Amino acid sequence: MRQAGVYSGMVSGGRTGPHLLPLARIKKIMKKSGDNVKMISGEAPIVFSKACELFIEELTRRSWMVAMQGKRRTLHKDDVATAIVATDIFDFLVDLVSSGNSINPLDFSPVEMETVLES
Amino acid sequence: MADAPASPNGGSFESGEQSPRSNVREQDRFLPIANISRIMKKALPANGKIAKDAKETVQECVSEFISFITSEASDKCQREKRKTINGDDLLWAMATLGFEDYIDPLKIYLTRYREIEGDTKGSAKGGDASAKKDVQPSPNGQIARQGSFSQGINYPGSQSQTQHLMVPMQGTE
Repeated sequence: MRQAGVYSGMVSGGRTGPHLLPLARIKKIMKKSGDNVKMISGEAPIVFSKACELFIEELTRRSWMVAMQGKRRTLHKDDVATAIVATDIFDFLVDLVSSGNSINPLDFSPVEMETVLES
Repeated sequence: MADAPASPNGGSFESGEQSPRSNVREQDRFLPIANISRIMKKALPANGKIAKDAKETVQECVSEFISFITSEASDKCQREKRKTINGDDLLWAMATLGFEDYIDPLKIYLTRYREIEGDTKGSAKGGDASAKKDVQPSPNGQIARQGSFSQGINYPGSQSQTQHLMVPMQGTE
């Protein structure tokens, strides 16, 4: 089995170039972080493309341990939420996973959704 | 004035962008779920499966992570009266907020990225080929920029690995 190193991970990203995550999107999310975020150096989204990868991997691994403790082999939202509550550095995510489901499609009217998608 | 002929109340969609809980401009607020899913799978054993709600939760968490770090870095820039958030600011913010374990992998990633960039002028396709070549880091540009990541800043909890950074990647025979 081929063991992909960090380097090969960078160049085998395929669709999004050398990075696994789209830099333009990262920049957009950065700009939405606050009114004072106006200028972002070219390297900042590159730092984030890797940092987000590390973050996703860590969150996934910790969630997986929760699922394993429940003798399950499918990761669910609750596993992610439990992992977040149990991990100090993920404290900033506690509100996101405890205050209802913000990505529930029932939160907005289906009419608006369709209009947006079709227009 | 026929500003928005296609939608009866188009203005409300635009203002919806302001709400953090609106799904209207999802492509602006989240990274693509396919990319998230691919990275998640890397972290799981082969027999592990991921439910859709778990992917969506992680997708939200990643955006929150970016905002969390960026806000801290932005505050630092304001304190120091600088306008541009750079990579050092982000590394500092991550170290401050408990993600010091990410610092060393990120420094290594940046060093390699700069080697590829310097070699192929940003061509992603050429990246693989250049990996096998013997790369000669240009003494002024490369080293000087690496220095900015290893000098002058103390990341809490992070042992500075300056020498590590200087080692080229291509020595894997």
